[in-house]
Amino acid sequence: MIFTIFKKELKDTLRDRRTIIAMIVVPVLVFPILLGLSTSVSKYFADKQKEEVLKIAVVSDVTENQFTQRLSAIPDSLGPKELIFRGDTIGLKKEISLDSIQLAIVIPSSFDQEQAANQQSVIQVYHKGVNLGNKDRVKGYISLIEDTFLEERFQRLNLETQLLEPISEVYIDISSEKEVIGKVAGGFLPYLFIIFGFIGCMYPAIDLFTGEKERKTLETLLTTPVPRWKILIGKMMVISLSGIAAAVFALVGMFAGLRLFNIVDIPGLSAVIDGILTPSFILGLLVLLLPLTIFFAGIMIPATIYAKSFKEAQSVLTPVNFIILLPAVVGMLPNIELDYTTALIPIVNIVLATKEMVAGTIDPILLIISYVVMVTVAALSVLFSYKRFGKESNIIS
Amino acid sequence: MIQVENIRKEFELTKKQQKENNTTDKVALAVDDVGFECQPGRIFSLLGPNGAGKTTTLRMLAGILKPTQGSIKINGLDIQKQANEAKKDIGFLTGSTGLYERLTANEIIEYFAKLYGVGKEDFEKRKENLYSLLGMHDFQDKRIGRLSTGMKQKVSIARTMIHDPKVVIFDEPTSGLDVITAENIIKLISDCKTQGKTVIFSSHIMSEVDLLCDDLAIIHKGKIVHRSTMQEFRENMQTNSLTAEFIRIINANN
Repeated sequence: MIFTIFKKELKDTLRDRRTIIAMIVVPVLVFPILLGLSTSVSKYFADKQKEEVLKIAVVSDVTENQFTQRLSAIPDSLGPKELIFRGDTIGLKKEISLDSIQLAIVIPSSFDQEQAANQQSVIQVYHKGVNLGNKDRVKGYISLIEDTFLEERFQRLNLETQLLEPISEVYIDISSEKEVIGKVAGGFLPYLFIIFGFIGCMYPAIDLFTGEKERKTLETLLTTPVPRWKILIGKMMVISLSGIAAAVFALVGMFAGLRLFNIVDIPGLSAVIDGILTPSFILGLLVLLLPLTIFFAGIMIPATIYAKSFKEAQSVLTPVNFIILLPAVVGMLPNIELDYTTALIPIVNIVLATKEMVAGTIDPILLIISYVVMVTVAALSVLFSYKRFGKESNIIS
Repeated sequence: MIQVENIRKEFELTKKQQKENNTTDKVALAVDDVGFECQPGRIFSLLGPNGAGKTTTLRMLAGILKPTQGSIKINGLDIQKQANEAKKDIGFLTGSTGLYERLTANEIIEYFAKLYGVGKEDFEKRKENLYSLLGMHDFQDKRIGRLSTGMKQKVSIARTMIHDPKVVIFDEPTSGLDVITAENIIKLISDCKTQGKTVIFSSHIMSEVDLLCDDLAIIHKGKIVHRSTMQEFRENMQTNSLTAEFIRIINANN
């Protein structure tokens, strides 16, 4: 009987456009679109800045100073620039503020002498801080010029360049790429599951409970010789399945975005993704997701039974969504790990366990504890739902 | 057969409801000491103004609500103690019943047949009979959302009758329907009587009552204020029309 209800509710749910959008379309598309947009937008701005010709005013009494010469010699491949020579700073600030000149470098007339005497020269750079990137560009130029002066000083003084760097460090990373990705991106995966698992559960939950009340079909269903708990379980299975589907589709969307379309260009990423996405990992994730989505269904059903309209149900569940997200955010914090304390906190434990699974460093005992805790909480939420579903004031509008 | 003995139904009031109703009572009494019997092959009508307790009574008969006190037996089975067995014998139809808009007529009928545990052979035979009787063949594969009100009502009827219930409960079955659609329901009620089923229906449309009813009870403010056969009701009328007599009885018990 439960299967009959499950089958009917699944068919009904899959014909609901709203659920299909929340369960399949949004999860699949959101990552490729987000990744694509963010990388292309940042690439566009980076390219634009690289191609932009910077007008730099060089202010000095002495036009033929060493600084200006070396600045002119910097190739355009490091960013095209146009140098404008000025004798004084009159009107410069206004020109920079109007953006007819982007930068001005004031070079002291004693620059060459100071350099020859191994002294420090002070140069002033006028810039507009709101134009991000201009300051960095000029810093790059100055650093290049500084290096050339430094080299000349060392030669003049007959010194080895090693003097500048008493220590040359070599880093040897013994963590695998998988572990690194696990720690960095591993927190993101469960976050993804929680958001999409919740949204995936939400629409069917509202539709299968509040919707039945609103459309006046619940009364008829309750006259059938089917125990209420069977009706509840049948519906709950569809809600839970929808949450799992949404989370899985989000995962598919994310990996498809990263892998197939090469949206993010990180060397070796494909190999790492292949290493993570093993059948046993996917199976493990699904097993972890099951009590999580049952728990979601269990806390949503009482709200959706209580609500009299789709709108009311949505406004009750939206704050719940934020509350649920909190433990997911905790899981993303870098120094929180799965231990005997965090394994006892529902949702947080699933988030951390997923993170460890991605990194391949999961402790089986902690995994079992986390799972048992989550299953217990899910069972309690089912029991709570059952009590609310049996309440007459909730089922009769 | 339906046997109702001294049923009472109280609803708990929330603080908000207490404020709205301007009362300090923690419960509202919807049905108070109601008892009657409906016989097979006869149509029993439960009459009453809006808010009298008709729907609450019928919902208790159908096992949707639990009486606070009293007992209800459907063909000898206690609806509270043997709920699922008793419910197999009941068909329940209201004027405001909704249907699953995204499913087709066929899918809905099959779903309910399964919920009532109807065997495959019986299902096919009954479905064919009902579809022919109601003229449903043309739209059996259309989704409910695309059907007219009349077509939907036919699907509701087929859904109510697919398990061949021995007891049929109609709660204001024609409310909100046009005369043509209402006619289908009137015919269904009449057919149920011919087939020897026990029928109870609530209404406040006296012409329907006059046409169909064998026994009647008038409920007002949760209490039965009149109970007789239709024959006795007609014979003892103190006014010149059924509607006027109904109003007279209600007013006399205000």
